[in-house]
Amino acid sequence: MNKLWLIISREYMAMVGKKSFIIMTLLIPFLLVLIALVPVGIAYLNNSGSDIKTVAVIDNSGSYGNVIADSDLYHFVPLAGDESANPHEFYKNADGSIEAVVIIPADIDSVERVTVYSDGTLNVSLKNYINRCLSDTLTGKRIAAYGVPGLTEMVEQAQVDVDVRGVRWSDDGSEQETSTEIALVIGMILAMATYIFVLSYGAMIMNGVIEEKTNRIVEVIVSSCRPFQLMMGKIIGIGLVGLTQFAIWIVMLLLLGGIGSVMAAGSIDPGAAASMQQEIMQQTAVAGPQPDVDPSMMQSLMSGVLSIDFTTILIAFVFYFIGGYLLYASMFAGFGSAVDQASDASQFTTPIILIMVIALYAGMACVDNPNGPMAFWCSMIPFTSPIVMMVRLPYDVPTWELTLSIALLFATALLITWFAARIYRTGILLYGKKHSFRDLFRWMK
Amino acid sequence: MMISFFKKDKISKLMENFIEAHDIVKRYDGHTALDHVSVDVPRGCIYGLLGPNGAGKTSLIRIINRITMPDEGTVTFGGRPLQADDVTRIGYMPEERGLYKKMKVGDQIVYLARLKGMSKGEAVMAMLEWLDRFGLAEWRDKKLETLSKGMQQKVQFIATVIHRPELLIFDEPFSGFDPVNADRLKVEILRLREQGSTILFSTHNMESVEEICEQITLINHSKAVLQGSVKAIRQQHKQNIIAVHVPDDVAIAPHDELYELLPPPQPASPATHIRLRKGVAIRDAITWLNDNYTLTGFSEVLPSMHEIFVNTVKEN
Repeated sequence: MNKLWLIISREYMAMVGKKSFIIMTLLIPFLLVLIALVPVGIAYLNNSGSDIKTVAVIDNSGSYGNVIADSDLYHFVPLAGDESANPHEFYKNADGSIEAVVIIPADIDSVERVTVYSDGTLNVSLKNYINRCLSDTLTGKRIAAYGVPGLTEMVEQAQVDVDVRGVRWSDDGSEQETSTEIALVIGMILAMATYIFVLSYGAMIMNGVIEEKTNRIVEVIVSSCRPFQLMMGKIIGIGLVGLTQFAIWIVMLLLLGGIGSVMAAGSIDPGAAASMQQEIMQQTAVAGPQPDVDPSMMQSLMSGVLSIDFTTILIAFVFYFIGGYLLYASMFAGFGSAVDQASDASQFTTPIILIMVIALYAGMACVDNPNGPMAFWCSMIPFTSPIVMMVRLPYDVPTWELTLSIALLFATALLITWFAARIYRTGILLYGKKHSFRDLFRWMK
Repeated sequence: MMISFFKKDKISKLMENFIEAHDIVKRYDGHTALDHVSVDVPRGCIYGLLGPNGAGKTSLIRIINRITMPDEGTVTFGGRPLQADDVTRIGYMPEERGLYKKMKVGDQIVYLARLKGMSKGEAVMAMLEWLDRFGLAEWRDKKLETLSKGMQQKVQFIATVIHRPELLIFDEPFSGFDPVNADRLKVEILRLREQGSTILFSTHNMESVEEICEQITLINHSKAVLQGSVKAIRQQHKQNIIAVHVPDDVAIAPHDELYELLPPPQPASPATHIRLRKGVAIRDAITWLNDNYTLTGFSEVLPSMHEIFVNTVKEN
């Protein structure tokens, strides 16, 4: 026990003391923000950075040419006369200054189709823009054609978007509003966190095992303690490093939140805030027929957050996290012991990564039906349950399912650890040969 | 300051076997690494384990270290079966040296000492003392990878002996050391023996065997083929060769009954080597030579361990 503790603390200090650990721990949150911002930035660049492109319009119908108005991205010019007689010639002569040529047929009212010619595949933004302009106008025109006064307004008002609210009944009949979206987001975050943690820290363990083996220090260590102690010390030590990293991030998040709220309170004066709120109210009032949408949405959001049983989720998360980590970490350790260098390990790691990816996709698929048969079975199978159950957790999993699944996970994790230890104690002392899965099975005996 | 390794009651324990590996069999995937090998190491002895590569030396060393378990046979340690706790009384330096490259020298030694059961305070004290002894004190807070290979070897040696083990096991201790450091190592090994440690080492270096080993076992093809004290083995393998010294301008002629002349030895020596014919006593040959030549000296030539090693392995 004493030796195990020594090994754990060495593994822990060796990792935490590294400069790279400190830098990565501080940097990763910013990298994540950066990654999240990249699509926004690209969209921004797309819209502002590029030149406005010119699109020629040949209007054979005579009445829809000016319906396609200029946008932020496109400038539309009507074509007539000789140029419209031979659009291809015109397009070729324009030598790239014209992006595309839109030809509106004379009978657009009945065929409901326009054609866009260019030297490439029609891009989505132009396609959608033209579609929107023409569809709206054609719809309006049809409605007007019925000749019923005020029909346009009637149709507009007839557009109904029904708000579906989830309410959970407790046994005593009390009601609590639930939020599908929030449950989904929380579930996906937990699943991703487990996935990333298990994979990255599992790989760290494997590299540690390989390093000790190639360094040959392993022989010195196992002359002082049992190989099992060394393996478990590494797994636990590195696991604690991961938990430390999480703890640091949570503290950073809380600090950031604190600073943010202080700054927000200090910089926005009440008047400006009030006027902003008013503006939002006005906008929502214009946008929809229900002027009370904003407060009710906030309310449902809040009650949705409150409806989630965070205590159960947190406890379950910790259990699955530890169980899943132990399960995969011991596999990584066992496989690491069988190779001499990290580059040889892929034959063993590929199946592990494949299983984890399957688990992640199964988790995503379970969002549609979090209590369906696939969700049930994938959250029972120990290799997928740590990820899939994360997705299901916010949707109130029955207690017996949770208990059974956790019991299965831990039983399997202990079994796998036992097998991994048997592979490990043989593998670490065998050098210079490539081993197959068959060798590993033999070592287990 | 002297480190007292453990109580010196050598006299009473002199004849006792500290390690008895009895009838050890170890098999790996269809090949037998050790085939009924028995080795008895007396307490306070420097014991050599010889043999060509792949003969089974490392397998035996790993079994005595409890790194692996024998398929058959027993190991007794100080008179009773080897137990898990005994590893704290053993120091092991493997052939392929290995330490954590990124770990600081001092931390590393203390960590390994504590794994061998020393308390933190003890380990730190001993570490400082040993680093000082080897002139490595200023490297204490440096990462191992910044040290030269020779210095790393010294750190490895310190890590092996720091917990004052009663049994020291060195696998090829002299490989990788330059001559100066190899000598230093020899001195340290002898010093540890003086302080009461029993030392078991495997080696290819036959000179060192003659110099410091008292007893040996030669393992070849998984079997112990030669065992005993170095002196006795050399006596047993002697081939009645005598180095005879005569003045430079004199050449000894062959003799049909007493001896045959041997080709000049390598490396070149001023002596003439003769081999006595069967049944001839040294005294008779020397008396005859003394009567017929001006003898300036003579000595019996014992085979070197190198020759014995090579011949025994070849015979096998």
